[in-house]
Amino acid sequence: MRIAIKPYRPEHDVDVNSLFAMNYLQELADNAHLVLSFAKRDIRAKYKQTILGVAWAVIQPVSLMIVFTLVFSLFARVPSEGIPYPIFSYSVLIFWTFFATSLSQGTVAMTANATLVRKIYFPRETLLLAVMLSALVDLGVAGLILVAMFVYYQVALSWAALWVIPLLALEVLFVLAVILMTSSLQVYFRDMGHALPLLLQLWMYASPIAYPLTSVPEWLRPFYLLNPMAGIIDGFRRALLHGEHPDFTYLGIACPVIVIALAGAYLFFKRAERTFADVI
Amino acid sequence: MRDIVVTFSHVSKRYELHRKLARAALFNDAKRGDTFWALRDMSFEIERGATIGLIGPNGAGKSTILKILSRVTVPTEGSFAVKGRLGALIEVGAGFHPELTGRENVYLNGAILGMRKREIDAKFDEIVAFSEVEKFLDTPLKFYSNGMMVRLGFAVAAHIDPDVLLVDEVLAVGDTAFQAKCLNKIAELKEQDRTIVLVSHAMPSILQHSSRVLWIDHGTIQAYGDPDETVESYLRTVHTHGTEATEELTAPSDSPIHITRVTVRNADGHANGSLKYGEPASVDIVYTVTQPVDDPVMSLTFHDVRDFPLGGLTSRFDGIRLDASQGSSTVRLILSPVLFTRGSYGVTVAIQDSRIQRYMDMRPRAATFMVDGPSVASREVSGHFVLPHRWELHPQDGR
Repeated sequence: MRIAIKPYRPEHDVDVNSLFAMNYLQELADNAHLVLSFAKRDIRAKYKQTILGVAWAVIQPVSLMIVFTLVFSLFARVPSEGIPYPIFSYSVLIFWTFFATSLSQGTVAMTANATLVRKIYFPRETLLLAVMLSALVDLGVAGLILVAMFVYYQVALSWAALWVIPLLALEVLFVLAVILMTSSLQVYFRDMGHALPLLLQLWMYASPIAYPLTSVPEWLRPFYLLNPMAGIIDGFRRALLHGEHPDFTYLGIACPVIVIALAGAYLFFKRAERTFADVI
Repeated sequence: MRDIVVTFSHVSKRYELHRKLARAALFNDAKRGDTFWALRDMSFEIERGATIGLIGPNGAGKSTILKILSRVTVPTEGSFAVKGRLGALIEVGAGFHPELTGRENVYLNGAILGMRKREIDAKFDEIVAFSEVEKFLDTPLKFYSNGMMVRLGFAVAAHIDPDVLLVDEVLAVGDTAFQAKCLNKIAELKEQDRTIVLVSHAMPSILQHSSRVLWIDHGTIQAYGDPDETVESYLRTVHTHGTEATEELTAPSDSPIHITRVTVRNADGHANGSLKYGEPASVDIVYTVTQPVDDPVMSLTFHDVRDFPLGGLTSRFDGIRLDASQGSSTVRLILSPVLFTRGSYGVTVAIQDSRIQRYMDMRPRAATFMVDGPSVASREVSGHFVLPHRWELHPQDGR
């Protein structure tokens, strides 16, 4: 029996000069299943032949929480807006870990899959989406610890906690914009990979994770908030711990930054992608 | 009306060399660094149902054509079109992950090659049966043997069901039985009027499968037409037959004995490098002895066009003792008759010590020649030789 299946990698008639006209998003949608396959591969491969397995998803944010609690709560007294410092930091650390994991794995996604990129065509951004998907699974696991902490510290959640969903969506779009840039730069300049750990560390301290956003001096805030992660992280904390909606002024700065970054990064990526195989 | 499925029109591809590569590729800056044109203004068309053999020396641009067709890279200039779904048997199993099981890898690799999940579901049993790894489906791939991995990779790739299939040298994977399976799969695709682009250095497989041959060199088309004729003209450029064959060979360093000239002659005694199947031919080897040598042994090895040894013999095998007195001597090997199939061949000549352990002189590809004879393109013979043989018919066996 022959099963008729419509070929869905569309017929291609490629004119170099009209590549921009190709419908990237349509092609990406056609390859949604490929994103899932890559994500499954990444998740399965990440925890195979480890003893602790998926516990590693929790270990990173929990260790950071312990260090932060010791340093910023016990040694130096950083204000935590009347909230127990462990939950004050952990509630946003899991979202930061999602950002950091996506960024560090997304940046090297092309070079780590160099054999594939060199040999086979597929929309390359599927590799990035897969990295983010697998980091989202880790976030889910780390979130379970957060739930336990809510119970332990008897912090009540309000309906405002639902703001986490749009905030996470914003964060996802922003991460995507960043790794679209960094992963293509990494193909051309391996310096990107070397700079990354430093960049991530600076970025973490430039975001209100270990300290509340209110401790940033007023005059500095307009610049401080140009970092979209600042408004987003602050939003998570408001929604989860204070039962408030995010500060729309802050997000009002973050949103356009994210939209512009994403559009620019995607076009840049699709242009750079054409010669990945020649350079990687 | 002709049904064209692949069109290349004025395609050029420039690669940037050296350290400026990154900047140049990113900013499309032609001024910086050295550039290399892998393809130059190349135009051709392929009709539906054709099997095109793509031949040319290393670096001619064959893999660049495949890369452009499969969209791994884009041309620098010009445009191309492919009608329908394209599949590539290029690097089978490139997407395999060692930690995943065979089953998971079939799905992953299928997805990478462009199959949807339900499509893989539908063909899963067929793929597994083809690969012959049923028993190890739930074993991580890292425990597979190399052969199993290649078979699984080929099995997935062969079931993409493409309209245009690119095949690069994969006919050489697996054991003979598996190769036969692969060839049958290709024949099946041909019967379904699929278009195939076959890249190989093995002229017999090119001749056996192609309906037309595209010969390229230095990024431009040299010829595009009849397989036998095109392959032959290509081989003539690979070997400058006849001239090189009689050339005086340069003397080696301190060896007591050396080969000075190797000449291949046809039945008429001409050293023009073209022999005929079924007719006698000879190889004359002139050697010079400068110091006394104890019972030297002459050995000859015949090669195909890729220098793959096909067979050889020594003077010892036939109980011949060479004349080892000082001065110049000639020894003649007579092939009676020539049993090579149509194609291009080379011969390596060496002189070894009496125990056939050390080389005293060795001349790789000392002479080359073309043979006119039965062609594997006819599919009536295969390989490089037709062995001495006869047939007997025994009708109604046993009665």
